[in-house]
Amino acid sequence: MRTAESAFVRLFIKCKIYEYMERILDGLGGRLRKSAIVTGAHTVRSRLRMMQKVEVKQVQLATMREVMFGYADVPCLEDVTVDIRFGEFVAVTGPNGAAKTTLLKLMLGLLRPWSGEVRLAAKGTDGRKLVVGYVPQQIAAFNSGFPSKVLEFVLSGRFAQGSWLRRLRAEDREQAERALRQVGMWEWRNRRIGELSGGQKQRICIARVLAMEPDLLVLDEPTTGMDKDSRLGFYELMSRQVREHGRTVVMVTHGLAEAAPYLDRVIELRRKEDGGWKCCTTTSCRGHFSPAL
Amino acid sequence: MEMLHYDFMQRAFFAGALIALIASVLGVYLLLRRQALMADMLSHVSLAGIAAGALLHWNPTATGFAVALAGSVAVEWVRRTYKTYSEISIAIIMIGGLSSAAILMSRSNALNKSFSSYLFGSVVAVNRTELILMAAAAAVGAVFFLLLRRPLYQLTFDEDTAKTAGLPVKWLSMGFSVLTGMIVSAAMPIVGVLLVSSLIVLPASLAIRIAPSFAAAVWIAMTVALGGVFAGLTASYAFSMPPGASIAMTLLLILLAGIGAQKAFVKLGKRIHRPRDRSEKESPSRIPRLSNKYSYMQSGGEEK
Repeated sequence: MRTAESAFVRLFIKCKIYEYMERILDGLGGRLRKSAIVTGAHTVRSRLRMMQKVEVKQVQLATMREVMFGYADVPCLEDVTVDIRFGEFVAVTGPNGAAKTTLLKLMLGLLRPWSGEVRLAAKGTDGRKLVVGYVPQQIAAFNSGFPSKVLEFVLSGRFAQGSWLRRLRAEDREQAERALRQVGMWEWRNRRIGELSGGQKQRICIARVLAMEPDLLVLDEPTTGMDKDSRLGFYELMSRQVREHGRTVVMVTHGLAEAAPYLDRVIELRRKEDGGWKCCTTTSCRGHFSPAL
Repeated sequence: MEMLHYDFMQRAFFAGALIALIASVLGVYLLLRRQALMADMLSHVSLAGIAAGALLHWNPTATGFAVALAGSVAVEWVRRTYKTYSEISIAIIMIGGLSSAAILMSRSNALNKSFSSYLFGSVVAVNRTELILMAAAAAVGAVFFLLLRRPLYQLTFDEDTAKTAGLPVKWLSMGFSVLTGMIVSAAMPIVGVLLVSSLIVLPASLAIRIAPSFAAAVWIAMTVALGGVFAGLTASYAFSMPPGASIAMTLLLILLAGIGAQKAFVKLGKRIHRPRDRSEKESPSRIPRLSNKYSYMQSGGEEK
């Protein structure tokens, strides 16, 4: 407990330092911009931009501070303090009933915590509105025979961008096709989604969020119903999303052993002495995977 | 086509077409959102509003409209609070609406005679006010469904993912509920409590079964509803049957025929396409591995 506290204190200090740095940079930016016109020093400006970019990267994508939540009168999650940074591949794990899904829903703002603080960054690394792709564990619409073609469904991931009435461009179709190919479902594009198997439904849901080109991918047990090859392919796919596209992936999984080589960090939910669930973060030591190297 | 020479039949066809087109689209969304009962409930609540309006000597159509709108807001609120019990709450409100409507109507002599006309509709006796109100509701509905078709698709599929994708789910959902109340209460005096729900539920349930895509489902529902209303009205004129009941019966027959045809088609398709299906099943269906770049991770990083 003490170590967790001291880590929190350290983090707090870090945040403060960042805040000051940001302020100084802001002030500097104003002055430098003026002087840049005089000296024509583009390099100064671009360096500043780079510094700011680095700054943005360090900022947390999602933070939860001492969050408590429960569905009935008893809290099922207590003392949850989690940080998700930009560009991380994080797994959430824990036994059945450990409120993993609840943790994700709290993080996404689908549930409101009883107490504590949950914050999700408003903007992505590119400075635009944060795009979140969420794949829930079960989707009721699949059972009721939602009438939709696979391709139509995956294309709906593109609706998140731009106006509700914009015309879909060739780029949107390309993205949808790429996403479907990435999950190996392109051949099934003209099928009704009701005809697919459980694992296939899972995969077209993943394709839909990939088509969104999200900053944050949140997946709730995405590999249930997948065979081993598909699971490994999936971990590789997610890993590539993180390493090459700078996206952040948070997923709930039970297959930690298989996924471990690809992960940056594991958040484990453990039972507290008095019955509730708390949250422990373990950082896996995969040094050669940190994006800076 | 001599029936179209009559003024009242022209109005009946016009009103019926309007309601058929908008109610069937509404039905597709309602069914997929598992709120098929909601339209039924709102029509009963609206009936109570009409009765109350008649008793208080206000315009019954207006009070029915207002009460249905209030009811739709209430339902949306209840649905948010008790997600799992939404069907029970709908049933409870429905009973309340119908019983209070019956009691209120027995009190007012002015309306007592036409109680059954509210239940089973009087599409051939539609008056001008009702027609204008219906046209306005249909226009608002058309604009709503046209402008918001993409957000509604996402919302209908799954509310959680729609919310995380950045849609204003609360407002969309509320707008949808209010629109439902509007359409139902505008259509109810014309086609009656029975026909409102059959126009909403029957075409949509057939469309959802047979449509290959979402857009197709909407178009099929509209076509079926329009066909059912026209055929039903014609039949009611030709055989002098009550129009509401004959429209509902026609829709039911279309639904049964459609389901039967689909089953036959599937059986036929199985016989013809057997070889192709097998080859499709053999096509690889797994997430492709990206490259060998990652393979070292499985072997503990030795090949680095």
